[in-house]
Amino acid sequence: MSFNLKDILTPFTAWANVVKDPVTIKDPFTREAAPRYRGFHANDVQVCIGCGSCEAICENQAIDLVPIEGVEGIETKDGDSGLRPSVDYGRCCWCALCVDICTTDSLRLTNAYTWVDTDADNFIFTPGVDKKEWDDKQEGWRKPQDGYEFYGKERVHMEEMHSPERIDPKDSFVEFIKGYSKEQAQQEADRCVSCGICTATCPAHMGIPEYIKAIRNDDMEEGMRVLYETNPLPEICGRICTHKCEDVCSVGFKDGSDALSIRWLKRYIADQIPADTNQYKDMLGTGDIAKNDKKIAFIGSGPASLSAAYYLALLGYNCTIFEKLPEAGGMMRYGIPSYRLPYDQINKDVDYIVSLGVEMKYNVNIGTDITLEQLNTDFDAVYAGTGLHLGRSTRIPGSEHANVYQSVDLLRDIVTGAEVPVEKKVVVIGGGNVAMDITRSMARLQMEKYGEVNVIATSLEDEEHMPADREEVVEAREENCEINPGYGPQEVVLKDGKVVGLKVWKCLSIFDETGAFNPKYDESDERIFEGDMVIESIGQGMDLSYLSEEIKTKIEFGPRGRIVVNEDWQAKGLPWLFIGGDIIEGPDVIHGIANGHRGAMAIDQFLNQGR
Amino acid sequence: MKELIEKLNSKYDLQEIVYQRDNLAFTAIRKENAIDAITYLRDYEEFTHLVMMSCVDWIEDGKFQLLYLLNSPEKKCDIGIKVYIDRENPEMFSAHHLWKSVWTYQRELKEFYGIDFPGSPRVNDDFVVEGWEEIPFMRRDFDTHEYAEKTYFPRGNRKTNDPAEYMRKKLYPNQPVTAKQRKDDK
Repeated sequence: MSFNLKDILTPFTAWANVVKDPVTIKDPFTREAAPRYRGFHANDVQVCIGCGSCEAICENQAIDLVPIEGVEGIETKDGDSGLRPSVDYGRCCWCALCVDICTTDSLRLTNAYTWVDTDADNFIFTPGVDKKEWDDKQEGWRKPQDGYEFYGKERVHMEEMHSPERIDPKDSFVEFIKGYSKEQAQQEADRCVSCGICTATCPAHMGIPEYIKAIRNDDMEEGMRVLYETNPLPEICGRICTHKCEDVCSVGFKDGSDALSIRWLKRYIADQIPADTNQYKDMLGTGDIAKNDKKIAFIGSGPASLSAAYYLALLGYNCTIFEKLPEAGGMMRYGIPSYRLPYDQINKDVDYIVSLGVEMKYNVNIGTDITLEQLNTDFDAVYAGTGLHLGRSTRIPGSEHANVYQSVDLLRDIVTGAEVPVEKKVVVIGGGNVAMDITRSMARLQMEKYGEVNVIATSLEDEEHMPADREEVVEAREENCEINPGYGPQEVVLKDGKVVGLKVWKCLSIFDETGAFNPKYDESDERIFEGDMVIESIGQGMDLSYLSEEIKTKIEFGPRGRIVVNEDWQAKGLPWLFIGGDIIEGPDVIHGIANGHRGAMAIDQFLNQGR
Repeated sequence: MKELIEKLNSKYDLQEIVYQRDNLAFTAIRKENAIDAITYLRDYEEFTHLVMMSCVDWIEDGKFQLLYLLNSPEKKCDIGIKVYIDRENPEMFSAHHLWKSVWTYQRELKEFYGIDFPGSPRVNDDFVVEGWEEIPFMRRDFDTHEYAEKTYFPRGNRKTNDPAEYMRKKLYPNQPVTAKQRKDDK
């Protein structure tokens, strides 16, 4: 064995470094990272709505959405899932895609980057809920503003006919919204982050992300299957739905960002399928339904009855709808003007329902032509979806004059072709959608008759609180209607027995401290809106004249005369009588469709008891 | 910069030119001309520094795009040379003789994308992963998720919720609206 002194001494040369300055940093834990460094997450959980876009985009599946209990301000409600993202740092790669997609800008990465713990499970935490020392650190990565968006901020523009073309007597009641093209619909569908927050808010709980996905995949039949699962009136709803879903759309959460155009996308799907009931049946697999021997009668052919009849027909029930008027649709046909909802689109939805064997009996008045008792004898269950067809009066002095009308009556007359009085100057009382419908319809009729529009609509509510959809107000003004909100009607002014105007006072408040309807006025701010006729459109009441005195004693009535129902929509006291539509909820079409669907399920359960 | 690119164009027939900034331009050069052009830039145009080499997987086009980013300390500007090579048979002429750092970049590209640089020293040695048996992991057809699922054990303490489904359970339980929900609830 050879002996080498160098081998023995070499290790000791390292000791020379003891007296040198170290090249490493002594304490790395206090060294600040760059201002835009991507470190640990922070989340403003009061702003976050738990849409889950962060989870969806995470390439590493590092994010879970977890329920948050006991934190003030966080609850599951319209527009907030009540979930918040939790991050697994065993997987996170700090790419910050979660921050960049965040629909509310609540999520960010701080520039904190050191965290020592002995328990690996602690490295899963919920930013903003599990308090961390970096929560208040402002440096770090935030979503860059301006021009850095994963989805378009603006909705795809909808082509429409503009005023004055819109009120041109040639085609003034023609639908003016043109509908999306395929390219436009796909572009709009691309903006959807598929969070599903909208589904809870939709009264019918429609599978909105699923049908928008079908548009992206250009699979219209799949889209229709999704629509019909929860809504058998897609052409109608695609046009006139009150689209509560769009109010909570996460894509539209931030100022300057438009919500998805969910309603128009629904219309796009339905518009792509031709009005051919056989094609509908093939597509939806409803061509061969085995009938059972149970019979159900429906009073009224509005959205609630149509929806209930559709879902019961799918289950094999024999459905017969009794309608007082000559055609189906209820308020959808006789209340909503055709420039918003054309009749052929109503027919398209209705025809398919009828093609499933639902029998329609028109011009039948329950209570006079057939009694409700008779229906009970002839059928296994009765469904009443009779709607709100009676106009309510302001009962102000002069309101009993012959030239003071109810909007619902006039709107119905326009559809049936009855003669509609059109004066040169019209005043409408009301600020809801029906008031806008009659205002705009009268504008069109004035154009036909006089070649000019002279209609004023006024409401107790001020501009910001008008119950009508914003677009209705904007479009009415585009059509030269004067919308003058914030005034309370005091008197229909008569001169020589003729209506000459409406006296109003400025409205200061509508409800008193207890929340009761008790408007306060500024009497010094008095105005006269000139008009030869006045139309009242301050809400509608129900016509329950089909209930006989005997039946009335058997059931219960609640606040505002509503029939009391149990959770299965059965009238309390009469288990065979089911109630739905505007007389229970709403009023609007989508609530009717939703409670019609639920009513159908309840009727099915009721008739299957013991089976 | 423009002058230089035009000169380069007359010599090498550039395929695409992008002027990103006053001091940064990108251009694509045919595979067979690329090393020649890079050598020319280094020796005659003062682009003496190789900033980095990288690669993009254009899977839809069946191409890998190599990028050589060169810097000129004298001119204070950068030029990026892109070279598109066939994805099916990914091989590129080696530039290891131009800068020593190229050895490492080419070894990295071999491991990450499976691009061969024949003649490059130690190009087949493991770089960051040892004993890798899958397709190169930076290729876009490598399924990272699938690999993670089969290779690593899951943490038992994680559970997520779908917002729509969670809201249904919280806000409207007992009201299934679709056939699937009715089935799930049973």
